[in-house]
Amino acid sequence: MNDETRHRTEPDGGHTTDGGHASAGERTTDGEHETDGGRATDGGHATAGDELDPSRIDGHADAAEEAFPPLGSIKRWFVTTNHKDIGILYTLTALFFLVFGGVLALLMRVQLWTPGGNFLSPLSYNQAVTAHGLLMVFWFLSPFAFGFANYVVPLQIGAKDLAFPRLNALSYWLYLFSGVLFGVSFFQGQSLAGGWTMYAPLNLPTYMPNVGATTAILALVLFVASVTVSSVNFLTTMHRMRAEGLTYWRLPLFTWTILLTVWMMLFAFAALLAALLILTSDRLLGTTYFAAEGSGSLLWAHLFWFFGHPEVYIVFFPALGVMAETFQTFTGRRLVGRKWFILAMILVAVQSFAVWMHHMFLTGINLQVKTLFMATTIGISLPFDLMVFALIYTMIKGRIRFTTPFLFSFGALVLFIIGGITGVFLGAIVLDYEFRGTYWVVAHFHYVMVGGVTALIGGLYYWFPKMTGRMYDEWLGKVHFGLFFVGFNLLYFPMFLAWETPRRVIEYDPAFVTWHQLATVGAFVLGASFLVMFWNLSRSLFVGEEAGDNPWEFATTAEWAVPSPPPLENFPGTPSYGSGSLRFLTTERALTPGEGSGGAPGVADGGTTAAVGGIDHDLDSRGLGGHDPDRSHDPNHGHESHASVWPFVVGLASFVVFLGLSGFRDGGLPPGMEGGIYAGIAVVGTAFLAFALVGMARQRFRGPAGPFGESWPFDGVENTKLGVWIFLASDVVLFGAFIGAYVFTRVAHGWVDWHVVPHDPTPGLVNTYLLLTSSFSVVLALVAAEKGSRYGLLAGLTATLVLGVGFLANKAIEWNELFHEGLTLSSSVETSTFYLTTGLHGAHVLVGLLIVLYMMGRAARGAYLDDERPVEYFGLYWHFVDIVWLFLFPLFYII
Amino acid sequence: MHTVGSVVAVVPLHGEGILPTGTRADVFREIFWVFLLLGTLVGVVVIVYMFYNAYKYRDGGARAGAVDGRERGAADDRPTLGELPTGGGGGRKLFLSFALSTVIVISLIAWTYGTLLYVEAAPTEQEDDVLEIRVEAYQFGWAFTYPNGHTADGTLRVPQGETVELVVTSRDVFHNFGIPELRVKADAIPGQTTTARFTPSETGTYQANCYELCGAGHSYMTAEVVVMEPDDYERWYENTASNSETPSNATTANSTTANASASVGGDR
Repeated sequence: MNDETRHRTEPDGGHTTDGGHASAGERTTDGEHETDGGRATDGGHATAGDELDPSRIDGHADAAEEAFPPLGSIKRWFVTTNHKDIGILYTLTALFFLVFGGVLALLMRVQLWTPGGNFLSPLSYNQAVTAHGLLMVFWFLSPFAFGFANYVVPLQIGAKDLAFPRLNALSYWLYLFSGVLFGVSFFQGQSLAGGWTMYAPLNLPTYMPNVGATTAILALVLFVASVTVSSVNFLTTMHRMRAEGLTYWRLPLFTWTILLTVWMMLFAFAALLAALLILTSDRLLGTTYFAAEGSGSLLWAHLFWFFGHPEVYIVFFPALGVMAETFQTFTGRRLVGRKWFILAMILVAVQSFAVWMHHMFLTGINLQVKTLFMATTIGISLPFDLMVFALIYTMIKGRIRFTTPFLFSFGALVLFIIGGITGVFLGAIVLDYEFRGTYWVVAHFHYVMVGGVTALIGGLYYWFPKMTGRMYDEWLGKVHFGLFFVGFNLLYFPMFLAWETPRRVIEYDPAFVTWHQLATVGAFVLGASFLVMFWNLSRSLFVGEEAGDNPWEFATTAEWAVPSPPPLENFPGTPSYGSGSLRFLTTERALTPGEGSGGAPGVADGGTTAAVGGIDHDLDSRGLGGHDPDRSHDPNHGHESHASVWPFVVGLASFVVFLGLSGFRDGGLPPGMEGGIYAGIAVVGTAFLAFALVGMARQRFRGPAGPFGESWPFDGVENTKLGVWIFLASDVVLFGAFIGAYVFTRVAHGWVDWHVVPHDPTPGLVNTYLLLTSSFSVVLALVAAEKGSRYGLLAGLTATLVLGVGFLANKAIEWNELFHEGLTLSSSVETSTFYLTTGLHGAHVLVGLLIVLYMMGRAARGAYLDDERPVEYFGLYWHFVDIVWLFLFPLFYII
Repeated sequence: MHTVGSVVAVVPLHGEGILPTGTRADVFREIFWVFLLLGTLVGVVVIVYMFYNAYKYRDGGARAGAVDGRERGAADDRPTLGELPTGGGGGRKLFLSFALSTVIVISLIAWTYGTLLYVEAAPTEQEDDVLEIRVEAYQFGWAFTYPNGHTADGTLRVPQGETVELVVTSRDVFHNFGIPELRVKADAIPGQTTTARFTPSETGTYQANCYELCGAGHSYMTAEVVVMEPDDYERWYENTASNSETPSNATTANSTTANASASVGGDR
């Protein structure tokens, strides 16, 4: 990272393309433009509002924004909220986890050199298998793609940054610390060893008692938190902040794939979160969901695969986007059947939620269900046929240049075709029965998933010049591709030939030794190919040729119309496609010192009239240079903040909290010193996290403000509000999964035989009234705020607080009585579902009350009167929590 | 291809040879080879076509000297930086290929669906013939319980030529019982049973494996499957009945023994 940062600040041949550098150090003088962050930042709920009225400033001197350090400074990378910096952080961190997961894979391949070798112990092997899968799927594949998404999507859609830059930084730090936490799990006895699918009940402490296994699961929870924050952010950005003229049909294909990926993520990861929270509760608190005879195992399988199958497309779609972009650029052709391509992807994204049971054909589900899922599975393969053909036909009449990015994309398509055809085998249930649990599956999904990685590596080469301003070495890139492609096929193709080997075993039929040894050789070739890449790219940072704005002939998307790397705020003016092609509009407003880029030498062009310059259509890939190096600052938009250390602090604090929690088991702690240490860490971590969240909430931070070019259909819904809505959508899936888990368990145990836990519904009924009334009081608070009545607002908020506290107190009394009757969390699956589901709701109430408390404090000093939107957005959350209770009450008290 | 009609009338078609018949191993082999053949064919055609186009339209290739007016037209219409994305045409060809691949995939699946119905069909008229054996998975081994209550650990003995129904469950975690050579597989889920039927056609000793990661001993969680001559099996089985290790319910054991021997005797 350091080398790169140092490079990026070097003046490179009189071509100071780095706007970040130019603007360094000026942010302090900008303090008076910062607004107060009076928004509902509510402990992880993605609602940080970044669009508040700049005139409203209250006097937190301590919350002033810190200076934005230059690229070369280490500090920059801890405080940056800029999407390009975050993109680079994601990319580098993901590559680290690629190496981590790759080394584990090599260990496995060494182990499999001979059947039953003793290079690793069986348990170590199982851990390697599990960690390899989890690291590659979660900590490498998606984050690697999101490195590009962070960097490229705002550029492609003409946004200066994501909608919530600080939350974007928070996503990154949660991601990094979740990975660190996963690494820690290896040092706590033993990490997870049940495969990346973590099937129940093997994942329970009965069978996997080590603290490390709990830590690994908590690491996943933290990762999902990161994904959720990120999903809300990307969706808000892509729906609200597109340049004029960029309607959905006209979005570049990479952006399209990310848009669909993020929608799938929002819902799929919510289901995974439900599964993980239940599992965490089973491990930490001693609930008995997954241990329940006759329902637990399958409940996990359903929850996991409901997430797991969309996840396949979540990791593959960005690769598809890279392929679409590089095919167009390097063939010099527009994508054939573009609309159909997009429609096919939408179809896949929707349908991906209806195929999960094809992972469970042997679990005894009945023939009708199997038939249905066979049909949906085959159905979902067909849109991919269309996409493959579209890519192939795009080559026709092209001027194909076999650069490294194209070679990787081309190779990826070949691999994906093989992966797809072998997948059709699995769609035939009769064949699936036999392939289940064998290397056929391993080979198939590696062809698909690592095929996707192949395209993403192509993406790394494609955007490397944009990110660094330097070209990589083309010859070494081709060497990398050659080694990669040979290594890949040497590694995975023999797995088809040795398909009868059961998965995840160290003992196998000696007849397959040759194939497994070939695969091991292939694994090392594949691994070695990455050494070439690392060497090539890191060396090119220093000695690579100047890339210029657009090194690729026939590239069309907006990221190639700005310098490499792009300046801090991306564009020399407001990007617009209003005239039919990209223009950067500037206003006539003159630049005044102290505003925007005050103090930086030679800043801006004084912004004349609209449509200055347009963009350079020069097709010569090297000879560009006519750009004003300092055009980075549109004087009209100089107010955004770019630095906050709080995301890092929140990430670190979350890490400490989760580390402390990992020691708990079955509602208690390990005896002696160890338990004390974990409890201590948890307490310190919680205090630290509270401090960090309050600090983040109080900090003044301003993200990109509207109006934006294209926001349809959310023109009237400002960013924060849309963010809240999107977050609530994922929360719906979370509760839906919890309720689904309850219904599934109850049906499995006999609906009518089920013991409804609270024999007296009265406390629940009282709570229903309390919550409904509190919804009303929130509305009153909002009305009062609109009318500018401080006391009315305070009264409304206080009433809400009192009612909410009443709800929780009533619940506490009820639970206490039930505990005294001996009905604890672990008494039965009935009590488990009751306490956990209503407890999750109670936690939502508690979070809501903490926000109310915070808002009361601010309202007492006169906040929200001229901008009541934070009250409104809190109200959305609070009403949602009420509505959830209206479902839970009958389900758990009455029926 | 052989589509809906054959699916509806599964049973009569067996004789005509459109749908594979025989043991599960036979069915699997036949379908697998058809898929492999077609899959390879489609894969090779598509990939060769890709390479052909990649070569034909390579930059600076023969195309540079092409005099085809249409090609030059295409060359003039290259994408430019900053343009609004549009499609590249060629829709008809795309749809033809799409339709073709759809037909291939759907007919393949429809065909295998017929075999699925065949494999899953309960053999109604031969219901009595089914030898039901309970398979219990545990960390890390397999226990087999016969109709007479005899329980054996680690070795499954079945008579050749008779339909065996395995009723599979687990005592602890999720396992999966599979006999690769006989193409038998069933998930072993705690608190739940799944079934798998098979008819071993040849005597011999086979190996059963666990196909779901279940802990440290997963790799070594195997069992021996011995397919015996029906007469040998009969003798062995009688013996277990008299020396039953688990005589929990003698009358049940006896009656099931009688059933079992009757079924073995009436074997085809």
